[in-house]
Amino acid sequence: MNIGFAARRGLAVLFPVAAFLALGSRVPHFLDLSNLLNVVRQSSITGVCAVGMTFVIVIKGIDLSLGGLLAFCPMISGVLMLAGINVPASMAAGVLAGTAMGLFNGLMVSKLTVPAFITTLVVGQISQGLALTINGGSSIGAFPDSFVFIGNGAVGGIPLSDLLLLGFLALGFFIQRLTPLGNHIYALGGNETVLRQEGLSAARLQFFVFGFSGFCAAVAGLLLSAQLDTVQPTQGDAYQLDAIAACIIGGVDLAGGRGSVPMAVIGALIIGCLRNVLDLLGIHPFMQNVFIGSIIVVIVYLSGVVHRQSELATRGTL
Amino acid sequence: MSAPVTENVQSGGQGEGGEPSVQAAAAGKGRAWIASGGLLNLVGRNVALFIFLALVILASLFVENFAALDNAEVILKQSAIPAIAVIGMTMVLMTGGIDLSLGYVVGLASIVSGIMANTWFWPAPAVLASILVLGLALGLCNGLITQFMRVPAFIATLGTGYVLYGLAQIVSQGSIINRLPRNFLAIGRTPMFGLPSAVFLALAVAVVFHVLISRTIFGRRLKAFGFGARAAALSGVPAAWINVSVYAFCSTLAALSGLLFTVRVNAAQPNMGGGAFTFEVVTAAIVGGTSLFGGVGSVANSILGVLSIKIIENCINLLGVSYHLYLAVQGAIILLAIILGNLTNRRA
Repeated sequence: MNIGFAARRGLAVLFPVAAFLALGSRVPHFLDLSNLLNVVRQSSITGVCAVGMTFVIVIKGIDLSLGGLLAFCPMISGVLMLAGINVPASMAAGVLAGTAMGLFNGLMVSKLTVPAFITTLVVGQISQGLALTINGGSSIGAFPDSFVFIGNGAVGGIPLSDLLLLGFLALGFFIQRLTPLGNHIYALGGNETVLRQEGLSAARLQFFVFGFSGFCAAVAGLLLSAQLDTVQPTQGDAYQLDAIAACIIGGVDLAGGRGSVPMAVIGALIIGCLRNVLDLLGIHPFMQNVFIGSIIVVIVYLSGVVHRQSELATRGTL
Repeated sequence: MSAPVTENVQSGGQGEGGEPSVQAAAAGKGRAWIASGGLLNLVGRNVALFIFLALVILASLFVENFAALDNAEVILKQSAIPAIAVIGMTMVLMTGGIDLSLGYVVGLASIVSGIMANTWFWPAPAVLASILVLGLALGLCNGLITQFMRVPAFIATLGTGYVLYGLAQIVSQGSIINRLPRNFLAIGRTPMFGLPSAVFLALAVAVVFHVLISRTIFGRRLKAFGFGARAAALSGVPAAWINVSVYAFCSTLAALSGLLFTVRVNAAQPNMGGGAFTFEVVTAAIVGGTSLFGGVGSVANSILGVLSIKIIENCINLLGVSYHLYLAVQGAIILLAIILGNLTNRRA
């Protein structure tokens, strides 16, 4: 049964990859090296967010605050940078703000048992409001070169954004697979009772997971602003959906307990390819959203079907 | 014969004699009532009303030009449309779900109603009916996806929300439809007793749904479903049907709000509503004491919630503070309401 399940899951990922490669070979310039590197660069924002989101979804949560944080954190850093404070300190302030917002989500979920989708929606809205308020709703830009370099520079021909994504992939993978913390997080998502019987605190794990997601969102926001050399107060909107879609396409299970960071990053790359192909075909971003929104619903439905079938199979009724 | 009489007299005498002790008991009871959190419970049970009254008093005292008849009229006019939308959201929240697509239904309804009225020259009743049917169809989609495809509500409606937003943009081809026909505008603009008809429309919808939720079997089943879907289903409540119907109601009312918004600003635009409106409506419902865990909610309280947040918006305007701050303040209010609700629930 496990092999069948793994095979089906593998197929679920391989099929779209094959489809995109096939489609890509029909779309001019899609498979050019420069375009592919560009796709990875554009996917890095979604990818970094998806690393944090994977942890959240594994514990049956969801983080809807990304959209707001992706604008709020770089807005803080940007204002500080323009005020003449040095780049690392400004960036640290933005990352701290994002992490604090994430920890607050963790507090609401663990201590007040507020559903994750509500508290993160609220925190996202507060962040969005603050991002708009800080500079009166207008964009800021023209940052120091060292900051812009993070988004646009390259080391040995590989864009820094791609390296950063790789770094977060490694960090996420390390936490998830090679530390006790990762095991506990899976336990929390899979079976909370067992976790409690082991004498572990669910609250601390929830703190960590939401805090980490806020941290990832802050870094992704800074990266986005570095790439664009601007902070636009509503720049996060587009990435909220994509980050969730990336996790879901990568097989992270909304029912909790299942999902891996590398697969979520692959999901982000698939979304990136998809948007890129649709762009090259001249399809408007709004229509792309229609497409991606539908994909999410269909995949969540299908994964639910797989679940129920495997559940029935283990009970021996199928 | 005499025994009962003497008993009566005796008991009467006892009553008279015991009066001071009864008073003392009552006073003791009062003190106990306060000590046991009775006051907190009273506030807890009527949070929406207390928040509303507190806001009215605070705003009248500290905000210049707030306590004026003109201003009350403005607040009423601004509350009418969200008040219609909040009823549907309250019903969805009562099942323990959420409808994140609400604001995007508003946008789609707006642009579609504009096209029907302006480009196709449909008469107003036909536009109104079609928009309600459109909302119903969209809501059925949400409900069916949530109930039968087993997709969690926040994911299903997030997905359909993006789809609807995209569709609205595509249908409008990026343009806004202005100068709508007069008979269409009459739906929400006809003056009645000094107020536009939209306010009375909202009132009528509110009364109908208040009765539906608090006085009918449907309402009782909705609450039962919200407290425990499985238990309700086992007790014979048509759970699937209830769950689908709340999304249908929610989107239908959202579509009606979209149409009325279009009438109010005399422009059909796909960006109307959106995530910010969804959030405003969720905030209002929660300030109105609707439980995030399902089962608890009332139309009247949710509408008090709408009035409360519209008062706050109004004060922000009157004080000349940036409108952008309103978004953040709403977030803070919703958190406050959640934390307060949590405290009172623990006491109860």
